[in-house]
Amino acid sequence: MSNDANISNGSKLNRLFSLFRGAPQEPEPTEETNVAGQAMPQFATVDRAPQPVEMTTVLHPDGRMSQYPPPEHWDDWVEWDGKLWPKKVARHYTLVPTVCFNCESACGLLAYVDKTTLEIKKFEGNPVHPGSRGRNCAKGPATHNQIYDTERILYPLKRVGKRGEGRWERISWEQALDEIAAKMRESRLRRTDGIMYHVGRPGEDGYTNRVIQAWGVDGHNSHTNICSSGARLGYAIWSGFDRPSPDHTNARVILLISSHLETGHYFNPHAQRIIEGKMKGAKLITMDPRLSNTASMSDVWLPTWPGSEPTVLLAIANHLIQNDLYDREFVRRWVNWEETLEAVRDGRLAIRDPELRAQIEDLRTPDFALFDRVLKDLYAEFTFERAAEESQVPVERIQEAADYIARCDGKLATHTWRSASIGNLGGWQVARCLFFLNVLTGSVGTPGGTAGNSWNKFVPKPFKTPPPNTVWSELLFPDEWPLAHYEMSFLLPHFLEEGRGTIDVYFTRVYNPVWINPDGFMWLKVLQDEEKIRCHVALTPTWNETAWFADYVLPMGHAGERHDLMSQETHAGQWIAFRQPVRRVAMERAGRKVRFTYEANPGEVWEENEFWIELSARMDPDGSLGIRQWFESPYRPGEIITVEEYYRWIFENSVPGLPEAAAQEGLTPLEYMRKYGVFEVKQENYTPYEREVAASEPRGETEAAKPNGSTPSQASMAGLRAQGFDIDERGRILKDGQAVGVMVDGEAKVGFNTPSRKLEFFSATLYDWGWTEREYTIPWVLKSHVHPDHIDREKGEMLLLPNFRLPTLIHTRSANAKWLYEISHKNPIWMHPEDAARIGVETGDLVRVETEIGYFVDSVWVTEGMKPGVIAVSHHLGRWRLQEHQGVNPGMSNLVELQHDGQGGYRLRVLHSARAWESPDPDTKRIWWKDVGVHQNLTHAVHPDPISGAHCWLQKAVAVRRAEPGDRHGDVFVDTNRSMELYRQWVALTRPASKYSPDGTRRPLWLKRPLKPTPEAYRLPTEKRQEKIPDPA
Amino acid sequence: MNYGFIIDNRKCIGCHACSTACKSENEVPLGVYRTWVKYVETGTYPHTRRHFQVTRCNHCANPPCVRICPVTAMYQRADGIVEFDGDVCIGCKACMQACPYDAIYIDPETHTAAKCHYCAHRVDLGLEPACVVVCPEHAIIAGDMDDPNSEISRLLAREEVVVRKPEQGTAPKLFYIDGNDAAMHPTATPRTPTTFMWADTIPLHPDNGHHGGGPSLVALAEQAAGRSAKGEPIRTPGPQGLPQPGPIQFGGKVAEHMVQVAYNAQHQIPWHWPVPAYLVTKGIGSGIFMSLALGVGLGLFAFDGLTAIVGGLFSLLFIGLTTGLLVYDLERPERFLSILLRPQWKSWLTRGAFILVGFTLVAGLWWLVELGGALGIWPGLAQGLRPLFLWLGLLLAGGTAVYTAFLFGQAEGRDLWQSPLLPMHLLVQALMVGSGFLLLLDLFLPMPGEMVQVLRALFGASLVVDILVTLLGEFGMPHASEVAAQAAHEISHGRYRHLFWWGSLVVGHLVPLALLAMGGAFPAAVAALAAIGGLYAFEHAFVMAPQEIPNS
Repeated sequence: MSNDANISNGSKLNRLFSLFRGAPQEPEPTEETNVAGQAMPQFATVDRAPQPVEMTTVLHPDGRMSQYPPPEHWDDWVEWDGKLWPKKVARHYTLVPTVCFNCESACGLLAYVDKTTLEIKKFEGNPVHPGSRGRNCAKGPATHNQIYDTERILYPLKRVGKRGEGRWERISWEQALDEIAAKMRESRLRRTDGIMYHVGRPGEDGYTNRVIQAWGVDGHNSHTNICSSGARLGYAIWSGFDRPSPDHTNARVILLISSHLETGHYFNPHAQRIIEGKMKGAKLITMDPRLSNTASMSDVWLPTWPGSEPTVLLAIANHLIQNDLYDREFVRRWVNWEETLEAVRDGRLAIRDPELRAQIEDLRTPDFALFDRVLKDLYAEFTFERAAEESQVPVERIQEAADYIARCDGKLATHTWRSASIGNLGGWQVARCLFFLNVLTGSVGTPGGTAGNSWNKFVPKPFKTPPPNTVWSELLFPDEWPLAHYEMSFLLPHFLEEGRGTIDVYFTRVYNPVWINPDGFMWLKVLQDEEKIRCHVALTPTWNETAWFADYVLPMGHAGERHDLMSQETHAGQWIAFRQPVRRVAMERAGRKVRFTYEANPGEVWEENEFWIELSARMDPDGSLGIRQWFESPYRPGEIITVEEYYRWIFENSVPGLPEAAAQEGLTPLEYMRKYGVFEVKQENYTPYEREVAASEPRGETEAAKPNGSTPSQASMAGLRAQGFDIDERGRILKDGQAVGVMVDGEAKVGFNTPSRKLEFFSATLYDWGWTEREYTIPWVLKSHVHPDHIDREKGEMLLLPNFRLPTLIHTRSANAKWLYEISHKNPIWMHPEDAARIGVETGDLVRVETEIGYFVDSVWVTEGMKPGVIAVSHHLGRWRLQEHQGVNPGMSNLVELQHDGQGGYRLRVLHSARAWESPDPDTKRIWWKDVGVHQNLTHAVHPDPISGAHCWLQKAVAVRRAEPGDRHGDVFVDTNRSMELYRQWVALTRPASKYSPDGTRRPLWLKRPLKPTPEAYRLPTEKRQEKIPDPA
Repeated sequence: MNYGFIIDNRKCIGCHACSTACKSENEVPLGVYRTWVKYVETGTYPHTRRHFQVTRCNHCANPPCVRICPVTAMYQRADGIVEFDGDVCIGCKACMQACPYDAIYIDPETHTAAKCHYCAHRVDLGLEPACVVVCPEHAIIAGDMDDPNSEISRLLAREEVVVRKPEQGTAPKLFYIDGNDAAMHPTATPRTPTTFMWADTIPLHPDNGHHGGGPSLVALAEQAAGRSAKGEPIRTPGPQGLPQPGPIQFGGKVAEHMVQVAYNAQHQIPWHWPVPAYLVTKGIGSGIFMSLALGVGLGLFAFDGLTAIVGGLFSLLFIGLTTGLLVYDLERPERFLSILLRPQWKSWLTRGAFILVGFTLVAGLWWLVELGGALGIWPGLAQGLRPLFLWLGLLLAGGTAVYTAFLFGQAEGRDLWQSPLLPMHLLVQALMVGSGFLLLLDLFLPMPGEMVQVLRALFGASLVVDILVTLLGEFGMPHASEVAAQAAHEISHGRYRHLFWWGSLVVGHLVPLALLAMGGAFPAAVAALAAIGGLYAFEHAFVMAPQEIPNS
């Protein structure tokens, strides 16, 4: 180490006088150490005598440089120390692949672990990862910040004193496990809905679900209803899959209702492919009232008024329909048009033209030409002019977009993530109308089109799956929302407040509802109520606002500190990626034995995988609850499984091709995954719905030329029946009573996971569950709660757009990443100059934004990149802490004071903004920014969509005006009485299962549900079933 | 080998991955940046765009930072990478003034200059720079431009590219495909905005709550004030280098409605009071010697032993002070000897240091000899060597006074400093404060009358010439570049206008001239003090103002 580091402190004069004082002293090593004896959190220094080092040069013979060291050198890679350069100090690294945890994309990372000090030098990309292909966004390298964060929680903590008081004692993992397991056992013995696991960022596929299922409780709760579930329902109604997987690379037109070039599912992998497509000539069209980076990169930016997106999409659809520009053949083969004609015939779907209706009524065999006329009849009203008027977008732009789409040639890649689909009442129709364009252009699962997530995501089966549980928690899927696509998670405090139930043991996992959910003061209220939530365990890698109100705070690992298996539908292919605790792997490579991951992580930071195994085993020590059996090793009967065995079994048994690939390299499957961190299951995967139904997987077969004609050939049907399949009157192929395919033009096709096995234009499900009006049963426009009719701009009302992410932030875990916060740390109110002029403010001025339930005060950023009448404030910022020296990092949060007036009024006031602080990391004293944003979500009323159950994020800003005297930046006030009022107003919009269920069940069985219980659990309790109410239509 | 970069703006999505990957790879502290993504928003809703520009060291083919570095801490490798060595750097910050691109910073940990070095430590192993590897869009292309088959060479051959500030003659090797004018051109946008889109800004001056800029960018041009020969209403031409009022024009270009920086790296002013102070002390030190040597040498007055010894002592003291200030201004003052021990001869900082040392040696030796003579030790020696010392010393004193002009001339980042008037200006200023200081001494010394007369004449004349040179510099020939014009405007109408008009012109020149006209030793001494104060005011404005103009 040069002397440079030692002179970093002290003044210039000190440095001058150092000349006369002689060599500076070596600083005392004062770093904390973890169990393994490794220094943290600063990168340890090593003295290395300059000695000849053998360096590997990876310059290609043709002069090209390499991106990464080749995998054969990963075990011992020597690199020059970048900080000491141009002094040549060599460092030996072992390179361990892992998976990023800073959004849902699951991009590959490669950790450089110093072989001498076991410190992690940096995270780069994993070059063999098929999704991210060695590249990352800003959040990938910043993983290093999170691990070396000086304020991170290093040991299990238990609260002392009252909940929320902020006094903690350090406890051992033993104590934490024993105490929590005892509480769980006690609850489980009494009931099967007393334990709840509430996850923010899962970062894994199915591991924890299996654990919860093993406990035999209905206790999985997620953040999805504040995130993607609106769009998910829209997709599910069409197709059974609930997320799109666009093939951007090969698209001719890319249509986004989200900002995929900066955020979104899946930002980095998709952004790579969108630009690839664009460079190959694809046109990029983006809808966003805000000039996002994506909008800015677009060929056509449609700054639509929020909620008008379906109108614009249907205008484009209508253009295709009226001008016969749609793919009739695809629609004829794959849309449930016969069922739709039936609906017209029996009056479930109203059309305008009585003559057409009469013809349909008369017809014996369905005729596609009539469906074409029905489409033309239904959508004629969606003109470009109407779309332009409702969206307040120049009509030429909509026409331009329509022209591009009309010429997409089956290569239309679309995506909606959060944005409009989670913003508006009826936002699920945004996704449905968007996918309608895929259907009309035949761009479904085609090269350049949009596939279903389940086609491109590969989730391998674990060694033993517990049976579905037999209970139904009304706190998760209450009666009012039978079609809610995910748990009604964000209403949990309102449910508890109404006395709908209590929770014995409540786990929050990388989840910060107090901060990220709407109406956070309601969360604060119930979290403080030990009657409603008896025990709260926060599993988190960092401090957060919610963990502050926990009974146990258990430190869990970041990306390089845990095991997980992940796969995402990043493109038309399949892969699985293995997240690894990199220091543990490095120690094992060095021949050291590690029993639990916390022995290798900083402090005693653990991982959930091992924690759940140990916890579950202790919950049922003698196996009498039937839980322990699911946690016994498949390799060592009767003994508790290790995390390594868990993944070893999957890699050996559940991943097609992996054992062979490993064998080729002379590795076991587990060794292969430890080395590469990823495996590509399928390189290419197009139109899987066209696959023939067969007893065995017909993968890789080339399809023979299809016979024409619409009646199934007797021969093929007989053949199917011979194989044990049934075919019903609708052409559906059944096996054991389950639809597994559909006859299309005489061929048995796999089709889609819908009741009809086809793409469902008319949804009988929605009709049957009480949503009988046309605007629900087919792709249509629903009037948003922020429709211009509800926002009186004359009166100073505006629309507040909060739900967008920044490319540099990580929801609730950014405040531990100094490099990210340096780039983005505040969330001013974006406002159009016209609006700014109207209320008399300019950039930097303070504004008070009044919402339905309170107000917040923030500064303004005036920009032409904002739609007039709409203000945008990212809800990615505004972190706070209640104590100066504990909680969220001082440089990334406001120190605040919470006040409660005893009558439901809550106030948050900033005592001071971000500050530099002294820590072992010299950077913390260099924090130069002050404004770390305003926590606006507190002021948002809950808006549960009556169908999808999604929170509709867009807010009506009742008033937006100059701050009043005495208003301070960051001020927040909320009246929780109003919160409950608004909640009840939205509940009133629902059509509960107990009134509308067509078959006495709580929810359509075919729709997805996390941890589906047994069909019996779907039955409504008899006292709940009511007379079916006549159709409101 | 000739490494360069292409930034392909058709692909850059402004994600900042390069920024954090660089921080990670090179362990760059908070507050300083080797690479960053500048965001500029342009247009009128709904015709609005945000432009992203990855901004960093251009690895110029002709790097001014290398030329100005006195100790070869900044150097150009044979493969074209502009590299730095923190172990050698003395922290003089001259490279920061030489770089027209804001690419260099002082590392808060090592207190030495640092910047993007093309990840040379990776390149030497055959690995691409960290920013290239991380980029999701492959929007950063690195490679050998000498190899016609490399990706960078092929792209350069095929695509239209632009570089930042080609007029600086640095031959940047960072090329932009689809470079945007508003982003490339730092003067296109208001200086130091009050905030960025997602980030705070640091005001250039902590005392100034509203973030600099001030009146300097508010153009003063009057609209429609005259008529053409044919009677049409016409506009009066505005001041050179300044935009018309309103958002339509910037940097001599017509732009869209909104042009605002939404994100940029933060840059601080590198040189502060020690530099203008050093200019003043150097002027006095060299000026005293020049005034005496010229007077005696040209036979304007007779040699006076006492004046010579006292004046010489002050000359040496001020030169010593000058050296002290120079050393003090170094971020690593304890390394100041490096300038002499490992000189980089192209640098005027090096040359200046040797001139200073040379002058100090010659003047010091002379002074010792004269002192010895006065004390009766070898009086003949003083007399005999005096002409040699005088003329040699005069030469070195002149060099001492003037060399800074050449150093400033090497500061490619500060166009105002690159004035051909500057050598002359510094010489006149030295004579002005040198003769003035001697007149101050006259209060305490019995100085020969004819000497005082000559000094008064010299003082007066240099004051008058200095006014002319100053005004000529400000208002004479139009400035060669927009940034020079803006800096000059900053002096005459902006943040430094009071220092300029009141400090330099009134206190520094008009008051001394008036006092001189009154006659008498005391007014002359006060005049001298006023001139020295005025000179500091001017130098302060002159040193600071160009640093206000952003280079990125």
